[in-house]
Amino acid sequence: MPQRRVLIVDDALFMRNTLRDIFSAAGFAVAGEADDGVQAVNLFRELKPDLVTMDIVMPYKSGIDATREIVQLDPGAVVIMCSALGQESLVMEAIEAGATDFIVKPFRGEDVLAVVKKVLGE
Amino acid sequence: MAEASHKYLHAFIAEATEQLEQLASDLVRIEQEAPGGPLWDSIFRRVHSVKGSASTIGLTAIVEISHAAETLIGKLKAHNAKPERIHVDLLLQATDALVQEVQHASGSERAPGSGDTHRELTGKLTEASRALPEIASPPRPGPTAKPVADPSLPRLDVAFSLARSCQAPGARTLIVQRKLKALGTLLEMDPQPGALMQKKGGVRVTALLATARGADEVRAAFDGIPEIENVDVRLAPPANGPAREAEPPPPPRAVRAVPESAAPEIRAEATVRVRAQALDQLLDQASDILHGIARLREAARQLPENAAAPFEAEIDRLRRTARELHGGVMTARLTPFSSLTEHLPRAIRDLAHRLGKEVELEVQGGEVELDRTVIEALSDPLTHLVRNAVDHGLETSAHRVSLGKSPRGLLVLAARRERDKVLVEVSDDGAGFDAGRLRKRAIDLGALPAHRVAELNEQQSYELAFLPGLSTRAEATDLSGRGVGLDAVKSAIEAMGGKIVLRSAQGKGSRFTLELPLSVSMANLLLVQVGGELYGLPMTRVVATTEYDLSARGGEGFEARSLAVMGQLVRAYSLAKLFGLPSLAPPGPRPFAVLEVDGLTFALSVDRLVGQEEAVLKPLFPPIDRIKGLAGTTVLGNGRPLLVLDPRGLHELAEAAQRVRGAA
Repeated sequence: MPQRRVLIVDDALFMRNTLRDIFSAAGFAVAGEADDGVQAVNLFRELKPDLVTMDIVMPYKSGIDATREIVQLDPGAVVIMCSALGQESLVMEAIEAGATDFIVKPFRGEDVLAVVKKVLGE
Repeated sequence: MAEASHKYLHAFIAEATEQLEQLASDLVRIEQEAPGGPLWDSIFRRVHSVKGSASTIGLTAIVEISHAAETLIGKLKAHNAKPERIHVDLLLQATDALVQEVQHASGSERAPGSGDTHRELTGKLTEASRALPEIASPPRPGPTAKPVADPSLPRLDVAFSLARSCQAPGARTLIVQRKLKALGTLLEMDPQPGALMQKKGGVRVTALLATARGADEVRAAFDGIPEIENVDVRLAPPANGPAREAEPPPPPRAVRAVPESAAPEIRAEATVRVRAQALDQLLDQASDILHGIARLREAARQLPENAAAPFEAEIDRLRRTARELHGGVMTARLTPFSSLTEHLPRAIRDLAHRLGKEVELEVQGGEVELDRTVIEALSDPLTHLVRNAVDHGLETSAHRVSLGKSPRGLLVLAARRERDKVLVEVSDDGAGFDAGRLRKRAIDLGALPAHRVAELNEQQSYELAFLPGLSTRAEATDLSGRGVGLDAVKSAIEAMGGKIVLRSAQGKGSRFTLELPLSVSMANLLLVQVGGELYGLPMTRVVATTEYDLSARGGEGFEARSLAVMGQLVRAYSLAKLFGLPSLAPPGPRPFAVLEVDGLTFALSVDRLVGQEEAVLKPLFPPIDRIKGLAGTTVLGNGRPLLVLDPRGLHELAEAAQRVRGAA
């Protein structure tokens, strides 16, 4: 199987680094990282990753709006929301906007990979 | 007065007042919205409802005015065009007269309008209706039908369980719902995703799907969804009794053209009015029950082992129920942000017209809910900011045009939920604040010494506007005064545990961002021990916990170090040092709580991680509310009080301590 390429979107460097480690260790290629929604949409258009992890609350453009635009660009896009506990209504809004699935922070690496593998059908 | 003694007069007053408030705001909206929306229906319904009740009680003046208004509304509605300002003015006038009459009926001091004024008003309303040509109203479409599927399609009974570990059952179920809708027509789902929000996992959900796909194919669709267990898909028995299979008669063609996946029927939930005070009492009592149960559980530890187990099991059951009760009360207290903004369109319209301005108000996130205490405390500051924007921020239409802006000023009120906070933004595209003038006034008033002011950058200068007595306006207006009272706004927001920030760009506009707590509520706490004392850290800010041996890197005397957490270097501070407490931990590996605030991650060393506890957070009382790093208090199961820490404050403390050391 070709290496899967992931785009990591989060305004916190800490979270981006954590996610990068998790994905790199599991054999994914981190195609790019974005720290706001605008950049996320631009990078998605440019990189066409197999998977996007998307923070919800970010400057300039929220993860929900970014997801909506990404799904418009590519209805088959796989976007996984990274939400904090207690943000369920925002997660549901994101799902309505077209997000594929979600993970809840704080998470462990295996939680993230379990969700990713499930939605990618691996 | 005969009518005033009516048994349900109270109920009428409350309802009519609410209807009329809504009516005024609907009327303002209808001027701005595209014609053809459902707003005329709502306007008509409100007037009609007031008229109906008033006639039952015998309040003739109300009946006459509302009847005349209703007739005009009916005509305007049939025309389906944008109403003219004169019509809206007239209807707003009628609304005001109705409010006056309702207040009079409630026994308030307010005098009723005179018969002459009423006759004049109803005369004008009737005249305006007559001037409009008759239009036959189009047939009303029937009520939105429930999802309808081809009766010849097989029905599948679908059932699945949400994993116990599932942290967002509502969102998880929504994903399943979307998947099922993609496979056919989803006729039923129980419980609905919305009902599972903020609930625990482990719930069994059932659904009925009309589809041409086989049971195996539907079952396979669940493979790609995490946290789903025990999926069961089988062919539903045909003719399942009238309740389930009763197909509504085929809808008229026009309706059938609507895709079947259209939004499900939205029905207003039945509501009752509850005295606000009763909700406060309920919350206090529910909290007391929780505390009592926690104390019972603590006491049960003293029992002999054979007696303790069944006793504890019962207490746990009781605690679950009590927690649900507490959650239920909290939910009942939630009030939408829109309750603060409903009256604004009217107030802004009037204010703007008086000032020769055109203002378009945009409200976003009206559905975001806050505890009613927060809503109440927010009302005055928000009104102040809005008036300020219309009065001082936005320019007159003529001035805007000369600046190349659109003649209508834009005022946006936006609320959104962010973790355990709600952010409210008040922004306008007006003149913005004048940083230079703020700086000058700060010096003139002696609020800050000149050399300090000189050090401020532009954004910091805007913060000067929050100092008492500062204003960029020389002359006062009767609307928002001279000093604009931004200092009062700031202290009101801070008093409820919030923050306010001003961003501005001269000539382009300004934006106030208010960060507010959702409520005084249950908090999930990480209990940590330092210097023999227990403290609580809000779990919402805890990203991880870890252990690290700093003695290997220079002994116990560390002040602030960096720590590798999940492959990332983060600043580490000692909680004991921050509070000047002795650390009682033996040398060797130390536990750390890793916290995240505003996207910044840092670690705090503690003596011991004790565990987690859900607790009712109580606000701090003076004078300890002034101590940085504290967020609130709570009472533990064993009756001991606990201080809850504020990670943001702790981080600021740590940074300040660093700077002091750096300077020394």
